[in-house]
Amino acid sequence: METMLTVENLGKSFKDKRIVSNISFEVKKGEIMALLGPNGAGKSTTIRNIMGIMYPDEGTITFRDKGKKDIPRNKIGYLPEERGLYKNVKVMDILLYLAELKDYPLDRAKERALELLKKFDLEGKDKVSVEELSKGMGQKVQFIAAILHEPELLILDEPFSGLDPVSQELFKNEIRGLAQNGTAILLSSHQMNLVEEMADRLFLIHRGTKVIYGPLDDVKKQYANFKCTIHGVNERSLLESLPEVERVEQKEETAVLYLSKDVQPATWLKNLPTQLDVQELSIDRISLHEIFIDIATDKNLLKREENLDA
Amino acid sequence: MRNTKKVAKWEIKRNMKNKTFLIGLFISPILFLAFYLIPDLFNNSDEDAVSTTVFVNDQLGVYENLEATVQQAGAEWELQPTDISEEEAAGALESEANSAYVFIDERAFDGGVLPVYQSEEISPLFMNEVQLLGAPLQAMQIEELGLTPEEASVITQGVVFEEASANASAETEAGMDDAFLERIVPGIFAAAVLLSIVFTGMAIFQSASQEKKDKIAEIILSSLTPGELMQGKIIGYFVLGIIQVLVFIVLVLPVLVWKIDVPILEYLFVPELALMLVIAVLGYLLFAALFVGIGATMADISTAGNFQGMIMMLPFAALIFVGPVFNDPSGIWAQVGSYIPFTSPAILILRLSLLEEWPWIEIIIGLAILIVSVWVFMKLAGKIFKIGILMYGKNATPGEIWKWIRA
Repeated sequence: METMLTVENLGKSFKDKRIVSNISFEVKKGEIMALLGPNGAGKSTTIRNIMGIMYPDEGTITFRDKGKKDIPRNKIGYLPEERGLYKNVKVMDILLYLAELKDYPLDRAKERALELLKKFDLEGKDKVSVEELSKGMGQKVQFIAAILHEPELLILDEPFSGLDPVSQELFKNEIRGLAQNGTAILLSSHQMNLVEEMADRLFLIHRGTKVIYGPLDDVKKQYANFKCTIHGVNERSLLESLPEVERVEQKEETAVLYLSKDVQPATWLKNLPTQLDVQELSIDRISLHEIFIDIATDKNLLKREENLDA
Repeated sequence: MRNTKKVAKWEIKRNMKNKTFLIGLFISPILFLAFYLIPDLFNNSDEDAVSTTVFVNDQLGVYENLEATVQQAGAEWELQPTDISEEEAAGALESEANSAYVFIDERAFDGGVLPVYQSEEISPLFMNEVQLLGAPLQAMQIEELGLTPEEASVITQGVVFEEASANASAETEAGMDDAFLERIVPGIFAAAVLLSIVFTGMAIFQSASQEKKDKIAEIILSSLTPGELMQGKIIGYFVLGIIQVLVFIVLVLPVLVWKIDVPILEYLFVPELALMLVIAVLGYLLFAALFVGIGATMADISTAGNFQGMIMMLPFAALIFVGPVFNDPSGIWAQVGSYIPFTSPAILILRLSLLEEWPWIEIIIGLAILIVSVWVFMKLAGKIFKIGILMYGKNATPGEIWKWIRA
């Protein structure tokens, strides 16, 4: 697959504070690549550097046309995290202005704008002033503005924040559709569940550095180990002495045992010692959500050095 | 440049579709016309009411002469002959308003003092005005003395003191008026252009801070550079200012040409106007750079700090110099004002309108300082704009702004 965007060893500091360092990833044609991380991890900074709104201190950013140094702004659609629209103008006027800035032909823009407004349940709103739109409607208009000019690369910074579930579904379907039609999509989010549903690959960032990078399935396979939750009064030392247990988290009468990657759940269960007090027991895989929380709260469940190459 | 044009076009279109802007576009010329025409209206209607009735009891047969004198002087009197006696006059005045009785008889030759009886409600200036009736009577006195017409004219001429200046030019009075108007008419026009584009330019500040408030700056900047956005705004609002000037011209100039007896159009399109307009445009660029930079540091006009407020007041700094420059258009204050970039556009235009001989060296120095300042402030504004426009929801402190400038 054709690579649309390559970020290599990106680094950026504000004053003395290091915001991001050593960030490298690629976004390919027709895939959804998720940039994932807790608030303040450096997602927006990374994206702003890609968009040329900030300039990186280190590293390079290359778009498909490697010959050109300039950012191919006309081929990129961008939905920033902090976003809004001019208040006292008509919806159609602002959509056409933004399309014009991208050098997109005006008549086609008008046609597509009407089509997209209809698709997003905003039919007939083209002549309405922006200030009369609800917040959700405004977000839809912003999204339409980002994709109106048929970009080859679409960068969405927290596209789902503040959306109701119905709109979220609408956005998800549209983004998936765009990817199927060959648009390269870079999507940042802190909502793990949404990313899990959509992304082909992910880059997990924390405190400005890479934690995980790779295809979603590989990440799941590698990091989503089994964990066993036991209700019952048990000594910590006993739990820790069990085979294949990497780590124990104990809170009152509940203990969570994190098992090693190669564990065979059925065999492992059969071999549990009889003195173990079990009121309730469940065994399941660690979800991406938990991995995310784990990283964000610095519990170091994952070894940072580990790397999955795409 | 293409993107700059797009932004400029958008700003123009957006404002021309905005009701507030459109109302503002027409309200200032209309207000101007209202202030200009309404007092005129009242004056006209008052004229009839104010006219004073003057009854003349003429024993010497000079009534026709008096009537001619009054007409010539343009006094708003209604002259009427009467043969009422002095005793009766006092009684008659009680019932009449705004009237007076003048008795012209032998006393004019005896002591030269004639009685005037006036009603209570009469113009306070009436006693001054009535003196003009003295002239024809004096002529009669002289005639009575039997002087030749030459001697008579010498006496009636009297002696007057007239103001004279050391460097009085040989020009006729009418010629001086022409030269003065030739300078002052383009001067007033250039000042109006400067004022109009600077005021419209203040909207740049609004536009820049609105961009922050509406959080659209980042979306826009994904399509163009901050420099292009800034230039687009400056050019766009310049055009809007010119539109304002055009509206002003279309609405006000015909009225002025109609109302004032001066061939304004002839005096307006003179070579001097070109230089004054260049100064006005430079002034606009300087203030536009200031406003766009400051606008980018502010989230909201209502939360403007002292620092931003002071910068907004800079265009009015020229007012400090206006008084001294009027007194002495080539004095030290005038020179200082021409060399400070924030005051020089207004002061230069003012001086060029007042001065007969243009101080070319001072003008060139002033212009050079202005051009360099425009360039420097555009650069600074670019730096501030680039960072400030993306700093949502917060006003920048002077310290921060200084840091951006140094970066």
